[in-house]
Amino acid sequence: MTETNAPKNDLPEVYIDDILMSLKYFADEHEAHLKIIDPQVCVNCKEKPCIQFCPVGAYRTQDGGTVQIAFQSCVECGTCRVMCPPANVSWKLPRGGFGVAYKFG
Amino acid sequence: MDKNEKLEFDVIVVGAGLSGSAAAAIAARGGLKVAIVERGQNPGSKNYFGGALYTHSLLEIYPDLWDRKPPLERPVTETGFWFLSKDGMVKTTVQGGKVNSQPIDAYVALRAKFDAWWAEQAQKEGAFIIPKTLVVDFIRENGKVVGVKTDRAQGEIYAPVVIITEGVNNLLTQKLGLAKHDIQGDSAALAVKQLISLPAATINARFGLTDNDHGVAMSVMGDVSMGLPGLGFMYTGVDCVSVGVGVTLEALREAHIKPYELLQRYMNHPMIAPLLAGGRLMEYGAHIIPEGGWKDMPQLFTDGVLVAGDAASMVNALHWEGTNMAIVAGKCAAETAIEAHQKKDFSAQGLSSYRARLDQRFIMKDLHQYRNLSHFLKTHPDFMAIYPTFLNDALGMFFTGFGKPKGQLYKDILKSLTNRRPLLKAVGDIVAFGRTIIGI
Repeated sequence: MTETNAPKNDLPEVYIDDILMSLKYFADEHEAHLKIIDPQVCVNCKEKPCIQFCPVGAYRTQDGGTVQIAFQSCVECGTCRVMCPPANVSWKLPRGGFGVAYKFG
Repeated sequence: MDKNEKLEFDVIVVGAGLSGSAAAAIAARGGLKVAIVERGQNPGSKNYFGGALYTHSLLEIYPDLWDRKPPLERPVTETGFWFLSKDGMVKTTVQGGKVNSQPIDAYVALRAKFDAWWAEQAQKEGAFIIPKTLVVDFIRENGKVVGVKTDRAQGEIYAPVVIITEGVNNLLTQKLGLAKHDIQGDSAALAVKQLISLPAATINARFGLTDNDHGVAMSVMGDVSMGLPGLGFMYTGVDCVSVGVGVTLEALREAHIKPYELLQRYMNHPMIAPLLAGGRLMEYGAHIIPEGGWKDMPQLFTDGVLVAGDAASMVNALHWEGTNMAIVAGKCAAETAIEAHQKKDFSAQGLSSYRARLDQRFIMKDLHQYRNLSHFLKTHPDFMAIYPTFLNDALGMFFTGFGKPKGQLYKDILKSLTNRRPLLKAVGDIVAFGRTIIGI
């Protein structure tokens, strides 16, 4: 079982914003399809795993411990809806025609 | 809208994916008036996978497939497993022989291109595509579903049968109570992928391919997921390579790792980096794979509704099957809809032959046989940490044990296993894995 607790410190640092340049989006300027339900719940959430698990890094902490979602970067995978420990994310699909538009898929 | 002017079809299909457009094509060919409601800008723009498509399922919808010139990448002429240790790799792959028999069983594809074409074929059969439109709810009469509500103004569309092929985030299926719960963190994986551009000649040289009509599809285990329950993959397109990794949602959260950093770590691996060197990122993406199979299957039909594809948890995680199940289930759903129209019975009872159709195919047989797979991975979380690395050690020692007494060599190999896992437990793992696959 020696590999079970494999060192986690050999992960390369990746600037997700550079990678997101490869994606095409139709941004909805009028409606955020993702919302934090209660900002205080995020302040009280110690682990904030959303910062790590979101595959586009859309979740970022702010001063005071609140969490902000850059919903414009979302690829609609659903991970945050399923894995937010206090289920504090209001998750909807973007309105028809909006959101990510894969060019290749 | 005036009641008399209401928009009405024989069948509404929710989502122009592999399953939805297959269902629409078969239903339209059967004489039904079909609408496909798709939330993306175009069919395909929301669709994502590894990945490869399976020829048998494409031919089942279009026997004249090749005349239609499908936008496929390379045929898969070499496939198998790559087992990664920290700095090494064991390959067990197969090529030629059965893998090379015509027609080739699998083709690498890019979903945005393929699914647009796939929907176009359904359109040619007579299906009507309504893009940029999100289905938000159902229209019910006397408790029965008789249509859908969309996010368009006056966006109600009526049909006595709605085929839900909404994909893994099956919120509509949940809304109807057919799925009893949302996706589960321990039986669904988040997969992230980079599509890397490389010249076709470079791909041929690096992967040992004769020409552009040869390609690889690889499942990658071990260090690729840092030993977490998950798998990596590598597929060659004509002038691009799909490289990605998937890990169960729960393992991802517990490990506190960023999925795109895990992917970059895999791409930096000394055995992998030379394959991708000099490539340019064409597109990144992420998608959840429902791996619960049988255990997470929703109720598959109710009054006026049928569910197919990822929305119905139709994925065989071990064999990388899902696209073919989606397509064949879409066909089964369409045949059921045609029959329901003939009998004028759209009740759950009238649609129940959908289940019988699925039971007769590999879909229900395989999902039932592998029903304990997600449980196995849950109870053996270190499987991917132990065995791929052991395999590298064992073969590495065997092929370098020159000048060493061979009795000692075998002891060392055994020790490299027992250092990781007591022998009895290792035997237990193999037996448990075997039982899981055989389905007993």
